[in-house]
Amino acid sequence: MHEGSIASAIVEQAVEAAAAHGVERITAIELEVGLLQQVVPEALETAFEFAAADTPAEGAVLHLTQRRPEAVCRSCGHRFEPSLETFSFLCPACRQADIEIIAGNEITLLSLTCDEKSP
Amino acid sequence: MTTAMKIKVVQNVLKANKDVADDNRRVLRESGLLALNLMSSPGSGKTTLLEQTIPRLGSEQPCAVFVGDLQTTSDAERVGNLAAAVTQINTGKGCHLSAAQVAEALKGIDLGAMAYLFIENVGNMVCPAAFDLGEHRRVVLLSVPEGDDKVAKYYTLFQQADLILITKVDLTEVCGFDMARVRADLAKVNTRAPVILLSARTGEGIDAWLDWLKTQRKQVT
Repeated sequence: MHEGSIASAIVEQAVEAAAAHGVERITAIELEVGLLQQVVPEALETAFEFAAADTPAEGAVLHLTQRRPEAVCRSCGHRFEPSLETFSFLCPACRQADIEIIAGNEITLLSLTCDEKSP
Repeated sequence: MTTAMKIKVVQNVLKANKDVADDNRRVLRESGLLALNLMSSPGSGKTTLLEQTIPRLGSEQPCAVFVGDLQTTSDAERVGNLAAAVTQINTGKGCHLSAAQVAEALKGIDLGAMAYLFIENVGNMVCPAAFDLGEHRRVVLLSVPEGDDKVAKYYTLFQQADLILITKVDLTEVCGFDMARVRADLAKVNTRAPVILLSARTGEGIDAWLDWLKTQRKQVT
């Protein structure tokens, strides 16, 4: 969902990071995508193509790794992985569904691979 | 000749909305009011709830309302005479309110004079769940005519709720709405949020809702 605005943000941040390091062209972008964001990879890649046009990120390849969700039970403190398949946020230890999500909800720009001009 | 190099970044791509939401949260926390994000499908009764609530809170508890809609000012007009301040936020094609839109709207309100800020989000059970506005509490409405399968279908939204309102309960029999199914689904998704059954027509649940508001306001101020 909202792959368009996510792609725009990726381009903006990648271009900014590249400029800060004095590089001219980004050839690949490594991203970690939390599964709770329910991003469709093909939709993100298409949106990225549009967003990156005429920028130093144009033509860059997206490398996506997934981050599985992790939760802490607010009732008993147990850490576990909620199930997206069965939509269950039940704590296996105390059977309450009162969780704080500590991973799986973020999209992280991990690194850029760039062309660097030799001196 | 060019060589490839790797630049480590490790940055939250979604930080733009998060940063503004955190700012909003700080401003709202300092202001002494209770800010609520009302989320639901279109037509589940968010505006009607405000029409029932604001007069009962009375002039000693002034309310500010932000109404999010793609188009029209009709919801703002409905609460216009009731609330101390109403701001219509038209998003055009935007399917949810953003923290930036709320930040902008906050500038026009005398926050210190308000007891409550009701943010009526765009009618949509999907996208608002992904956008923190900086609110104190998230209230999710589900109306009986929508059907009893919606907790399972839109679990992300229901998991985030601090309060769940089942509205139009006077239509339960006519619609064949299975409340037990909703409670069973909620038992897997969110056992923290209280569930209040409401009917604007009969008045059922309104007092429980007002009590919850009062308690939450005491907790945050």
